[in-house]
Amino acid sequence: MLQRRVSELGSLPVMPSILQSLGTCLSASPGDMNIDRIVELISYDKSLAAQCLRVANSAMFTRRADVESIRQAVLALGIQRIRDIVYSCSLPKLFAGAQQGMAQSTFWRHALGTALVSQNLAQRLKVADIEKLYLAGLLCDIGILVNSLLYPEDFQRVLEQAQASETPLCEVEQQVLGFTHCESGRILADIWKLPPDISETIEFHHHPSGDHADVEMTCVVYLADLLCRLRGLGYGYYEAREFDLAAEVPWQVLKKKHPDTAAGLDLARFTFELDQYGVEVQTMVDSIFSNGSGPH
Amino acid sequence: MSTNSTAILNQTATDADLADPSLVKLRDLIYRISGIFHAENKFYLLALRSRRRMKVIGSNTFTDYFDQLTTRANRDVEMRNLLNEITIGETYFFRGQPTIDAVSKIIFPKIVALPGKQAVKKVRVWSAGCSTGEESYTLSILFLEQIAPKFKDWKVEIVATDLNDDSLVKCREGLYPEYSMRNLSPQRREKYFKQEGTLYRIKDVVRAPIKFDRLNLQDQTKMLFMKGFDLVFCANVLIYFDGAAKKRTVEHFYNGLVPGGHFFLGECETLFGICDQFRLVHFPGSTGYYKPVPGEDAGGKK
Repeated sequence: MLQRRVSELGSLPVMPSILQSLGTCLSASPGDMNIDRIVELISYDKSLAAQCLRVANSAMFTRRADVESIRQAVLALGIQRIRDIVYSCSLPKLFAGAQQGMAQSTFWRHALGTALVSQNLAQRLKVADIEKLYLAGLLCDIGILVNSLLYPEDFQRVLEQAQASETPLCEVEQQVLGFTHCESGRILADIWKLPPDISETIEFHHHPSGDHADVEMTCVVYLADLLCRLRGLGYGYYEAREFDLAAEVPWQVLKKKHPDTAAGLDLARFTFELDQYGVEVQTMVDSIFSNGSGPH
Repeated sequence: MSTNSTAILNQTATDADLADPSLVKLRDLIYRISGIFHAENKFYLLALRSRRRMKVIGSNTFTDYFDQLTTRANRDVEMRNLLNEITIGETYFFRGQPTIDAVSKIIFPKIVALPGKQAVKKVRVWSAGCSTGEESYTLSILFLEQIAPKFKDWKVEIVATDLNDDSLVKCREGLYPEYSMRNLSPQRREKYFKQEGTLYRIKDVVRAPIKFDRLNLQDQTKMLFMKGFDLVFCANVLIYFDGAAKKRTVEHFYNGLVPGGHFFLGECETLFGICDQFRLVHFPGSTGYYKPVPGEDAGGKK
């Protein structure tokens, strides 16, 4: 039913071409990074360019002189942060039409948080392909936006019910809609022709089981999503649950593949460290939604 | 953290302080010795508190202070002073909302649902290192509000221990200044306290379930008798112990808990490398430790 509904509705956003070309450039390995091309692409998009300059000149980075050109901004912020800005500035615009459902700022706080934590957890564990994990974390819940757009009233009910019962979103989605944002996200991922591993992560990031539990990307994103929900970067409501992360299948999979780094990771300390992302993510989200060049 | 203290701290911890690589070294040293971890968003606190100690002993840079804490003859004394500074003034009623929520919304309801508990109908809590008693009274209030109205026959028993006699006198006196009250709503003040001049006295209904006792956590014999708890709290005490003493004490806590019981440390403390038996568990906004039920499947805890 969902599949048909989605394909019938031409209303789902199209992946912006700038994101396709910039995405490829920004995901290149450090040796193949073409700064000129990145600067050129960003300069094409006025609001994106303005966003880069604003972040480069924001309180977080004012240790150097004023940043006036896009090239300076790219060099000052570094490729990783430029990529964060490109995605976090372009994607919200696509879903600005969703009037009901989860607040955009809440959604992007969780998305950016999950992206940062995925990348950081992968770094600690020495998981390969760290660059891709940022994107996987950022996009994993994209189905929430799909649900907000396609089923505004039902999804609003899902949110209210989840908040009132303090239960995970997925469970309530399943009850009320008959499917979850994992499935609707997967459909959008296929329409957007996202890389297969990212699409799989979107589909299985709440239920890594069977073969998919072996996919490291899915496991990392599963844990990052959970940690964000537990540390104030969640879906905007209290989930009355207790988690033994070490007992979760994804953690056991990662531990098996990276025994040394996993054994050396103080998970409690890692959790405390997450709180510093809260500040970073909030700054980013404020800057996306704060003024005229934001998505609304 | 109150807004007021944040303002003061922001004035004091300069950007140069926060960017000083020696501050990271200092953070790592404190983590290694005490188990307290300051994430970057807490650096201003660490800088401020270290600066206070540095002023006292006439040390001007974090590099020099790090030296004082690692290579000088009185380094242990100074580390203790610094840890005191780090944990000072941390007790007030309803401190640490995420842990309070975890206890009242998740743990208490779970305990009263345990089949094995239905005959006794009693929740047992130990506040180890209870200081001046705010934590114990908070727990007593939580039980009165969350459990007592819904589960009529249930009782709570709170054992609050400390080494310091002066603290215990204050606990028993139950008379608190405005500072301890700052997180309490007017309704709670009214309901559980009686104002006496500028101070507030705890009412008997809150006091009744609590037993205050002197206990040295290093007293191996007495520790053996601390048994049968559903919940143990021990914030900012283990940080003063060396590795072996930490291990021993945590083992006592572990043994003192019933299977399925929970253990909470201070907000930024971790048990990493101290005890493998406890399982780290996450609640929204806080972390705790869990004593597994024998035979419990590793993935069964949700």
